[in-house]
Amino acid sequence: MINNPSHPKKGHLKSKACKFTQAGFEYIDYKQTEILEKYVNDQGKILPRRVTGTSAKHQRQLATAVKRARFLALIPYVNENMR
Amino acid sequence: MKKDFFEMTTILNPVLEEDKTKDLVQFISDLITNNDGEIVELDEWGAKQLAYIIDKKSTGYYVNLYFNAPGIAIEKIEKNMRIHDDIMRYLTIKYDAKMKRYYELRKNGELPVFIEPDDEEDQDDDN
Repeated sequence: MINNPSHPKKGHLKSKACKFTQAGFEYIDYKQTEILEKYVNDQGKILPRRVTGTSAKHQRQLATAVKRARFLALIPYVNENMR
Repeated sequence: MKKDFFEMTTILNPVLEEDKTKDLVQFISDLITNNDGEIVELDEWGAKQLAYIIDKKSTGYYVNLYFNAPGIAIEKIEKNMRIHDDIMRYLTIKYDAKMKRYYELRKNGELPVFIEPDDEEDQDDDN
């Protein structure tokens, strides 16, 4: 995938380092919706680790945070007004 | 009795009059204090747009509180909140050591700064 320039996921490749580890996060808060929104796609789905490069530890925290934020209607479960 | 640190966020009915909302916030904080809890911080975010419709309403009045309470109190508090018609949502989270450290940082305004993920345009440099 890395060597194939026409791969469909090529455009989504981000740098491999985990942004949360770099910034020294210990806990990802569900109230920080600006951060969470960077890790969901435009449908509202959580982006996989292979796309974002998040570390396993932070990906688990991130998933919990996104789900809590969804429950409190801070971010949508599904974004239907796409297109 | 051993007390833990909790955070609770609730969504209240936004169409209430101002003093009714105040009463309701008082009702929730009384619930906590009457069950051996002590409120550390109470933060009203006010009316906010909801990301999706809850109970046919598109806005909600958010209240965020932090408190110390024994674990058995949560059951009683939530039981009372569940049957109240004007409380649309509530979420209670118990804080562990890491989260408490995060809370202290947040209170002092020393949160770790998030490094912006790069945009997708400037990523074509590896071939």
